Amino acid sequence: MNEKAAPADPDEDASPDILSSVAVLAPRGRDASVAARLLEKDGIPAVIVTNLKGLAAVIYNRIGAVLITEEALSESGTESLHDALAAQPSWSDVPFIVLSNGTVRHRSDEAARQMDALQNAVLLSRPLHAEELLRSVRSALTARSRQHDARRRMEELQLRERQLYESEAKFHAIADSVDQMIWSTRPDGYHDYYNQRWHDFTGVPEGATYGEGWNDMFHPDDQENAWAVWRHSLETGEPYEVEYRLRHHSGEYRWVLGRAQPVRDEDGTILRWYGSCTDIHEIKMAEQQRQLMLGEMNHRVKNTLAMVNVMVSQTLRQADNMEDAQASIQSRIGMMARAHDQLINANWTETRINEVVRAALAPHRTGEGRFAMGGPDLPIGSKQALALTMALHELSTNATKYGALSAEGGKIGVEWGIADDDEQSFHFGWTESGGPPVQKPKRSGFGSRMIKQALAGYFNGVAELTYEPAGLKFRLVAPNTGLTL
Amino acid sequence: MSSPARNTPAVLVVEDEILIRMDVVDIIEEAGYKTYEAGTADAAVKLMERHGDIGILFTDVELPGSMDGLKLAAHIRDGWPPVVIIIASGNIGIQKTAMPEGATFLAKPYAASLISKTLHEASLKYQ
Repeated sequence: MNEKAAPADPDEDASPDILSSVAVLAPRGRDASVAARLLEKDGIPAVIVTNLKGLAAVIYNRIGAVLITEEALSESGTESLHDALAAQPSWSDVPFIVLSNGTVRHRSDEAARQMDALQNAVLLSRPLHAEELLRSVRSALTARSRQHDARRRMEELQLRERQLYESEAKFHAIADSVDQMIWSTRPDGYHDYYNQRWHDFTGVPEGATYGEGWNDMFHPDDQENAWAVWRHSLETGEPYEVEYRLRHHSGEYRWVLGRAQPVRDEDGTILRWYGSCTDIHEIKMAEQQRQLMLGEMNHRVKNTLAMVNVMVSQTLRQADNMEDAQASIQSRIGMMARAHDQLINANWTETRINEVVRAALAPHRTGEGRFAMGGPDLPIGSKQALALTMALHELSTNATKYGALSAEGGKIGVEWGIADDDEQSFHFGWTESGGPPVQKPKRSGFGSRMIKQALAGYFNGVAELTYEPAGLKFRLVAPNTGLTL
Repeated sequence: MSSPARNTPAVLVVEDEILIRMDVVDIIEEAGYKTYEAGTADAAVKLMERHGDIGILFTDVELPGSMDGLKLAAHIRDGWPPVVIIIASGNIGIQKTAMPEGATFLAKPYAASLISKTLHEASLKYQ
C-alpha cells in the first residue's frame, strides 16, 4: 500500500540491510575492527561509524542495533545522538550494547547518566568474549525485528479502523440520501437502526422508535395487520411486504409500502433484517381516484347506452320506413355525442344554458340570421342540459322538414328567463314564424314526446306545444329549482 | 306475445330517468298491461296505497332520495306480500341476498322481448 506520509520518513527507504545491521562505534584501538570481524563471521552485517554524529545518522535510518564503547559516549556529538533517539517513533526502541570501561564500581555519575540516556542498553565488559557478544547482538536484533513486526501490525489495524470508519461514513451518506426510509433490526425483530429519512418523515427523535415503538407510528386501523405480517416474516424468514398508513410529522397519515428481507450467514441463520418504507401516498390516492372514476364512467356509459336504447326503440316504433328511421337514429346519436362533449368539458356536473342552446342549434344555423336567441346565462344541470339539447334537436329537425327552416325567410325566436314574480319560475320558449302553414301531425313521434313529456319531466315543469297556423310554438314553465334538480 | 288474461295485474314502473321510463311504459303497455309510473320510491308507495290493482312492481335499483329500489322492494314485500317484484339495474353485481325472496333480476339496458317474457311469468305467479 502506498502511504507516503512525508518524503523525509526514514522508514520509506530504509533498506532491509540496515534494519538488521549493527552499527559499531569504537573510535580508539582495534575494538571496532575486531568486533566487526566477529559479527561478519556470524553473518551479521556491521556498519562502522567513527563518531556520534555518524551514529546519529544511522539511527535515523533505523539501524538494527548499536555496539558502542563506553568512552565513545562521552565524546563530542552527544546532542545529535540524543536528538536522533528523541526523534524515534513510539514503537522504535534502539537497542545499545555498551562495551564498558572496567567495573561498574568505578563509573562516574556523568558516565551513568550517559548510559541511562540510551534507554535500552546492556553492558558487556572487555576484553570481548566472542560468544557473549554474538548472543547479545542476536537477541538485540531479534527484539528489534519484533518492534518492526508490531509496528506493521499496528499500522494494519489503524488502516482497517480507518477503512471501517470510511465505509460507515459512506453507508450513512448513501442511506440518508435515498428517498426511502431505511431501517434494520436484530434477528428477533428489535429495531435498532433508522436512517435520517425516517426521522425527517415521522418527526420522532433518534431512539424513540427503537424496539417495537415503530408500531405506534402506524394508523390504528393498520397496526394489527402490519404487526401480524411482520411476526409471520420473523417466524418464517419470508420477505416482509405490507401497505399501511404511517403518521407524518404534520399529523397526517400517509400510505407507505413497507418491505424487508433477512440477511443470513453461511448456515442460513438470520443475522439481521433490513427494511425500507416507500411513500406511495400519491400513487395510492391516484389509484383510488382512478377506481372511483372507472366506476363513475361505467355508470355513465351504461346510462348513455340506456338512453340510446330508448331513442332507437322509440324511433323504430314510430318510423314509417327504415330509411327515415336510419336517418333519425344517426342524427340523434350525433346530437347526443355532441351533448356529451359539452358535459365532459363542464366536468359532467353543471354547465351554462347559453352554451347548451348555442351548441344544440349550431348544426341548424345557416348564417342567414334565422335564429333570434336571448336569455340570461343560467347554470343548468347535466341531465337537464342533455334533455334540452335533445328537445332542441327535435324542434330544429322538425322546423327544417316542415316548419320555419323549410321556407326562405322563416325565423325562429328562442328565449328563456326567470319570471319577475314571487315564484321566480323558469320559462323557455320557441316560436316559429314565416314558414309554411302549420298542420298538426297525425300522430306523435319520439320528437314530440321528447319535447312535451320528457323535457318537462326533467325540469319538473309543464310543457306546451301548439300548432298555430302562423308557426309552431313551444313553451316550458318550471320552478327555477328544476334547472339543476 | 299472447295477450294476457282479463284479470291481468297492473304494473307499477319505478324509474327516475324519464326517457327510459317512457320507453319501458310503452313496452309494458304494448304487452297488454295497465301501468302506473313513479320517479321515486315515495311516489311509488303512494301509488301502491291508492291502486289495489297493482300486482307487479318493476323498479330500478338506483333511485334518488332516501329509499333505493332494493329498500322499496323490501317495503312492498312487507306491505303487499302477493305483489311480484322485478328489480332492474345497470349494475349486474347486485347481490341476490339483497333482493326479497322470489324477486326477479333484469339487467339494463332492456330488451323489449325480455321484459314481456318476464312480465308474463310474473303475472302467472301472481295468479
